[in-house]
Amino acid sequence: MLTMIGSILAACGSSEPSTSKSEGEASGSGKKVVAWAWDPSFNGAALKIAEEIYKKDHPDFQLEVVDMAKADLEQKLNTNLAAGVKDGLPDIILVNDPNVQKYVTAYPNTFADFTGKIDYSQFSPYKADAVKVDGKMYGVPFDIGVTGMFYRTDYLEQAGYSAADLQNITWDKYIEIGKAVKEKTGKYMSTINPNDEALTSILLQSGGSWYITADNKGNFVDNPVMAETLRVYKAIADSGIAKPVTGWSEFVGSFNAGDVATVVSGVWQIASIMDAKDQSGKWAVAPIPRLNINGGVNASNEGGSSWFVLDGSANKDTAIDFLAKTIGSSSEFYERFLNENGGVGSFIPSFSSEAYKQTSAFFSGQAIYSDFTKWSTEVPAITLGMYTQEAKDALKNELPNILNGADLTKSLANIQQLYNQQVQ
Amino acid sequence: MKKLGTMGIHLFLIGASVISLFPFVWMLIGMTNSSSDIVKGKFSFGSSLGDNWSKLLDTTSLGTAFTNSVVIALIGTIFTLILSSMAGYGFEIYRSRGKDRLFGLLMLSMMMPFAAVMIPLFKLFSQLSMLNTPAAVILPTITTAFMIFFFVQNTKSFPRELLQAGRIDGLGEWQLFMRVYMPTMKPTYAAAAIITFMNYWNNFLWPLIALQTPDKKTLPLVVSSLASSYNPDYGIIMVSIVVTTLPTLVIFFLLQKQFVQGMLGSVK
Amino acid sequence: MGSKLKFNRIGWQFVLLPSAFILLFSFYPMFQSLMLSFQSGKGNVTSFAGLDNYVRLFSDPMFKQAVLNTLLYLIIQVPIMLFLGLIVAYFLNMPNLRFKGFYRTAIFLPCVTSLVSYAVLFKSIFAVDGILNQMLMGIHLIDGPIAWLMDPMWARVVIIAAITWRWTGYNMIFYLSAMQNIDPSVYEAASIDGASKTRQFFSITVPLLKPIILFTAIISTNGTLQLFDEVVNITNGGPGNSTMTISQYIYNLSFVYTPNFGYAATVSYAIVIIVAVLAFIQFKIGGEKK
Repeated sequence: MLTMIGSILAACGSSEPSTSKSEGEASGSGKKVVAWAWDPSFNGAALKIAEEIYKKDHPDFQLEVVDMAKADLEQKLNTNLAAGVKDGLPDIILVNDPNVQKYVTAYPNTFADFTGKIDYSQFSPYKADAVKVDGKMYGVPFDIGVTGMFYRTDYLEQAGYSAADLQNITWDKYIEIGKAVKEKTGKYMSTINPNDEALTSILLQSGGSWYITADNKGNFVDNPVMAETLRVYKAIADSGIAKPVTGWSEFVGSFNAGDVATVVSGVWQIASIMDAKDQSGKWAVAPIPRLNINGGVNASNEGGSSWFVLDGSANKDTAIDFLAKTIGSSSEFYERFLNENGGVGSFIPSFSSEAYKQTSAFFSGQAIYSDFTKWSTEVPAITLGMYTQEAKDALKNELPNILNGADLTKSLANIQQLYNQQVQ
Repeated sequence: MKKLGTMGIHLFLIGASVISLFPFVWMLIGMTNSSSDIVKGKFSFGSSLGDNWSKLLDTTSLGTAFTNSVVIALIGTIFTLILSSMAGYGFEIYRSRGKDRLFGLLMLSMMMPFAAVMIPLFKLFSQLSMLNTPAAVILPTITTAFMIFFFVQNTKSFPRELLQAGRIDGLGEWQLFMRVYMPTMKPTYAAAAIITFMNYWNNFLWPLIALQTPDKKTLPLVVSSLASSYNPDYGIIMVSIVVTTLPTLVIFFLLQKQFVQGMLGSVK
Repeated sequence: MGSKLKFNRIGWQFVLLPSAFILLFSFYPMFQSLMLSFQSGKGNVTSFAGLDNYVRLFSDPMFKQAVLNTLLYLIIQVPIMLFLGLIVAYFLNMPNLRFKGFYRTAIFLPCVTSLVSYAVLFKSIFAVDGILNQMLMGIHLIDGPIAWLMDPMWARVVIIAAITWRWTGYNMIFYLSAMQNIDPSVYEAASIDGASKTRQFFSITVPLLKPIILFTAIISTNGTLQLFDEVVNITNGGPGNSTMTISQYIYNLSFVYTPNFGYAATVSYAIVIIVAVLAFIQFKIGGEKK
């Protein structure tokens, strides 16, 4: 019985002994590079385009894209790095920008140094900044999450507002418009999800601030941008113009079902908005509202990632070259990415291409990408630091109290304290 | 009076069934609709099943993942049942102070959240060069304190006279286990099989870490990556969820008779 | 005397191999985790911290909140669920009840319904404009919609409802299979004596099922104290951190925040200690006296 168990297990165990070791090694004549990314129809597709472009000059280049959920990728990466297990790691990995500092600092000598490998001046400054840690550049900036205010032209018109009325407004004006929309059309102006910090992130960055300072201290007290952000957030929640939602599908559902007049989100939201085919021609995009303080602009960012290469991978140089020649410098890549997958990058030379000038029937004939790229030059550059998630959670903890009318200064002090506790 | 009691019981069970079935029905409906219809909350059948199904097959290697899941779950369940029942039998029938202490120790292993042991476990399998294999997925839970505990408790009501009778008949201890204990405990094995199969089948976190190449992925991993997108397609996700749910249901159907057939002759 | 020793030794034969597996694949990592709990730092950049992590637990507001939430779920949810499971199993064990197979399957179904799908569904049912509010307002039980998932107390109610929905069928199976060991003639004799079904339940079924009830109590306690999936997928610990559990905190410390695996290990051992203490108590109360 015991030998039976043993031999079956041995057979199971030895089925593919070399698989785990062959990751990242040159297989035969071609050089296969392995990349981990989430969202095959967006990030994965981008890599495929890059592969095609690169193959023109490097015909025996091979790329394997392994797709998995974003949270899963982060778990695998952390587990592999923490366990010190080299095999099984890919050559290229997609990293969400807020995580960059965290990974580079927590796992030293793990990510390849890209300083000098690409011309970072050709990228939107705030995207290039995101991959800089201690003066070194660590990856290739990829997709951009420059925000816009997508709006339903029909609802806004019904409430008496034209496109011109929506340009360069403040949030207070936004709320005022929202009330008119609610009154005249019965529709909500937007959604609000107190468990999701997307909105506060957008507001903070539009004021040139963030939850933490450049040296990773809590940025909750003595920070006028933070105070104003929360004031606006509470005002939106109190005004009755925002429909409460509790999850992603509810959020998407509200604009797909025509329940809301605006969606303030990153440019990548276009795909979901366009899912409601019957709404074609009824949408347009305006700059986001701004905070009513010094330095507040009508531009911000939500999301966005960069491509990193693992320093210990056998195909490191190939991977670096591949990324540098495509996503790092090819305008052709960015034009195809936009045309084929609706992806917007941060590569400035591509912004003047035909692809980026195209108009969209869905969005009332507006040249939306031109607008988004213009706004991307206005997005304030901030340092995302290492403890963004801890800071967001500290804020999340106090948010219900703030929404219930607690004294803002006291709440901010509480958040600061909670943050300091978390960051030891 | 009796009729009222029975009626009351039926009403209660119908209520419980409706509440239990509702999400499953919603899944079946969702699988036939397009993504935007689903997020809008449409509660009627649509016509997108074919579309969703073919998109699912195009974008994922569903068949491979299905096979991987089946292999791991079936092999894992068989081994776990054998090993856990052996231990449960041993701890209960041959009870001793030493064994009691060992049992108490083993119970501690259940209490540790997996997230905390994941990294050392991963390192261990890397050192054993066993990563990315079905064995790596099965071994950590090939015996669990949970299952041993289950068999121990159920064995408490096992009639020892049967063992005595068997010994008188000249059966050896292992033969007693295999020829007297196992057949009598069919309901327990059936319940254990369902639960164990379900655990292997739905296991997510460890396979995520231990399996490294796409060809080894299990179904839950496929479903998870579908849901992580700037623009998730909920229609496809629903189909993948139904596919993931069906096998455990099938096992349940096959085995449920086992734990309600009662004492039909075996013990008497 | 000799045969008793031999008897005992044979018992070890049954127990050794399974135990060895657990020792290797559970205890070895657990030991390493213990070692890790004395380290602190970020990712791979750690340094020895002695008992600092353990001390930190006592002044950590998030940890305290997590413990509070988790214990709350435990005290309320586990008894409800076990009791429901018992009653359902009792009904489904009645020989003359029709449609047993259907009920059995239906009530078991939640155990296999994917977490992702039922989380989305629960979120939409408990949404402000969701079905539940509409129904409750329709029968005039409430005046305005309850913001289930935005209110700390109601959010916990939703979590408790979700766990109960999901796991009652699981426990039902354990009880049903254990009820097979009760000779039907015992019930028949009691019926002849005039005992009602309710009386039989409390006087016959429950006492005979004690080992299994103890089993489900410990397993459910363990499961609820390690609760993770539901809170992450339905409320994500919110609103604020009012539904967060200890397991979620451990996960956050490892994979969401700047990773501090040492402290995460420490928090894990906090769970082990709590569960072990509770299990010990439950064994003493519900176990046998030899």
